[in-house]
Amino acid sequence: MSKKNNMITEFGQSISVQNANLWYGDFQALKNINIEIPERKITAFIGPSGCGKSTFLKCFNRMNDLVAGCRIEGDFKIGDVDIYGKTDINELRKNVGMVFQKPNPFPMSVYDNIAYGPRTFGIHNRHELDGIVEESLKAAAMWDELKDRLNKSALGLSGGQQQRLCIARALSVKPKIILMDEPTSALDPISTGRIEELCEELSKNTTIVMVTHNMQQATRISDKTGFFLLGELIEFGDTDDIFTEPGDERTERYITGRFG
Amino acid sequence: MTNKAKAKETFGKAMFGIAAIICIIVVVAIFAFLIIKSVPAFNKLGIFDFVFGDNWAPDRNDTFDTENISGSYGIFSMIVGTFAATVGALLFGGVLGYFTAVFIVFFCPLKLKRVFSSVINLLAGIPSVVYGFFGIVFLLPFLSNIAPNNGSGLLATSIILGIMILPTVVSLSKTSIEAVPSQYYEGAVALGSNHSEAAFMVVVPAAKSGIMASLVLGVGRALGETMAVVMVAGNAPTYPNSLFNSFRVMTANIVMEMGYAGELQEGALIATGVILLIFILIVNIIFNTISKKSVKSLVEKNAKKSSVKKPSPFALIKEKIAAIAYKIKITSVGKVVAVGAGVLSGVSLILIIGFVFVNGLPELITNPHLLFGKYEFGSENVTILPSIIATLMAVALSLIIAVPIGIMTAVFLNEYTKKNNIFVKIIRTAIDILSGVPSIVYGLFGMIAFVKIFGGSSSIIAGSLTVSIMLIPTIVRSTEESLKSVSDTLREGSFALGAGKLRTIFKIVLPSALPGIMSAVILSMGRVISESAPFLYTMGSVISAVPTGYGDSGATLAVALYQLSGEGWYLNEAYGAAVVLIVIVLSLNLLAEFISGKLTRKLKGA
Repeated sequence: MSKKNNMITEFGQSISVQNANLWYGDFQALKNINIEIPERKITAFIGPSGCGKSTFLKCFNRMNDLVAGCRIEGDFKIGDVDIYGKTDINELRKNVGMVFQKPNPFPMSVYDNIAYGPRTFGIHNRHELDGIVEESLKAAAMWDELKDRLNKSALGLSGGQQQRLCIARALSVKPKIILMDEPTSALDPISTGRIEELCEELSKNTTIVMVTHNMQQATRISDKTGFFLLGELIEFGDTDDIFTEPGDERTERYITGRFG
Repeated sequence: MTNKAKAKETFGKAMFGIAAIICIIVVVAIFAFLIIKSVPAFNKLGIFDFVFGDNWAPDRNDTFDTENISGSYGIFSMIVGTFAATVGALLFGGVLGYFTAVFIVFFCPLKLKRVFSSVINLLAGIPSVVYGFFGIVFLLPFLSNIAPNNGSGLLATSIILGIMILPTVVSLSKTSIEAVPSQYYEGAVALGSNHSEAAFMVVVPAAKSGIMASLVLGVGRALGETMAVVMVAGNAPTYPNSLFNSFRVMTANIVMEMGYAGELQEGALIATGVILLIFILIVNIIFNTISKKSVKSLVEKNAKKSSVKKPSPFALIKEKIAAIAYKIKITSVGKVVAVGAGVLSGVSLILIIGFVFVNGLPELITNPHLLFGKYEFGSENVTILPSIIATLMAVALSLIIAVPIGIMTAVFLNEYTKKNNIFVKIIRTAIDILSGVPSIVYGLFGMIAFVKIFGGSSSIIAGSLTVSIMLIPTIVRSTEESLKSVSDTLREGSFALGAGKLRTIFKIVLPSALPGIMSAVILSMGRVISESAPFLYTMGSVISAVPTGYGDSGATLAVALYQLSGEGWYLNEAYGAAVVLIVIVLSLNLLAEFISGKLTRKLKGA
């Protein structure tokens, strides 16, 4: 843990991946992927279930390290930093936040949920924490809803609120990139709309990479779209181009709903 | 439905109902026994003087009619002793168990994990006399190096009880930590926490109520434990003034004196049991409250005042502590402690079994008379063969009595009654209470009820009946759990095909619940073999000739071990007996695990 204090790595906001391959045991889940994800934009990954898009997303904060039998090859760079090199993994995850498919607030108060990240990195001053909690909740557009119930359990919030709280919690450590793994798949349309607005607002300062099953969502908010199929990145480009004139026949068949 | 079929259904229901009624009669009998026998003593002695008096010097000539009783009957020193020993056990076993559970879940190498968990589970089955025996042959001599006396007293008791509650605390805490959704861990790691931080700051706190419950259950076990404590505490009726002075706990009081008690003394001993039972009930109520309190109750917790506006002095202190904790990397310290605890638990458990085996196996090999010899009266040549046979006879008879009644009662409660029937609720509560009654209290009951019925002296039949009563609550409970886990869709499927209730129960429900029921039966077997307190005065405490029938008396193997180790003359033979006892109990536990695993797989069609 001493690394955390001594080694301060400056992470950039763009992601560059070359020749990425990933295996779960003998099964190859990702095949030779190359991609350049621009900074401070929303990038969406689409594709049928099991195509590897979530797996790929989790490479960026090395959550796949938690999976037994997972082997990764290739160059993964965030800015100039090789994230599978000597980087401190906790420092990496501080800079590359993540929002999960199912909201996962900790069984603590709203306040403690958001203060958890800063506390992990040594901030214990109450005033400083108060500031961070307020700032993060404001950034997630929840401050007005929650300012009077900071001490209530986060598990009492609605599903949509929980997910936005998780976004606020991710923001508390000021990440440069936020990964979102189908963040709205468990939510109703109104909550989904709120989160999409929030993403657009956040993308002014933060790079967002989002996995989604909802193609309308991709067209609504993303700047770039990547289409995955059977572990391969079939096509990657501006969202408008992908959805209006896809370069690959398989992409076209998928977005027009003929398979997937 | 034809008349014949109808009659069959009615008959079936009646059979299950009768089993339930027997169960109720037993429950009522035990409560009635406790009340009828203790109330005169409470009246005569005065509840206050009895509970808060601290001089215990009974006179066996005192009766309920004696005008001026000559003995004193105050158990306060024993209440204090019981609590001191329990707190001590919690300090050793609770803390060690908590960290061991964390170790197993988070820091144990994957290959070791399964072995470690099953070893810990197996240890829960080791008979308490074996722990006590280990105390006598290893711990006391070891402690006597630093103690002013022979080592017995509060410290030795706390350590032995601590090791005894360790398996309970570890397995329950481990289960509740493992039940925390993995999203919590992932969420913490995704925010940049390392492994130990995620473990100690998010996952373990989320399992708080389960861990608390495991500690409370451990407390319950420590409160009710008899033989192991008797063997290391010293048992003088005084306060535990230091770590090394002889003191007495409440269970020990009963077991030490009930063999030769006078009328009032007997009442006072039963009253001691009642006071103990009340403490255990309180602990059980706490346990139930905590385990019902799931994560959901967190939701209902109302907001106190927003601490954003008013930081309390307490919050400031907490903040300082948190800052210091961060600086000294408290979670890394926690990791080291957890690994240390895991190693220590493993080592102490290996030590117990290893020590007994290393000393006992040679004895078994070099002294074949011990296992296969013929009993001769007054001979120096000890044989445990009669004890093994007496044990097997007790196992057979008590299971023949307890298993059918237990299973049928469970079926009646679960399949024939409505969920919210008040009557059923009362039965359930009574059974729950009974399952918390310490085994020595059953011994008291058996001694006064069954021994008298069967001719006034101890016999295998009296001992078996006593133990079967002790087994019924456990069998009912675990059978009910297994029945509940059978999905209603199965029952509906059977009814939808036109099957009657009896057919559904025998062909669908019971077979699906079989793995759970089987392992409950086998564990009951293990329990009969491990128990010693309820047998001492019901079945006999002296190794004698091979019993020829259920009317004979005989010491079970566990009781024999207690007797052999007590005098200090037969330590080698005691080691041999301990090895035999451990081998039998552990193989039964393994068998239970194997059978339930195999049957479960078979049911799933794999």
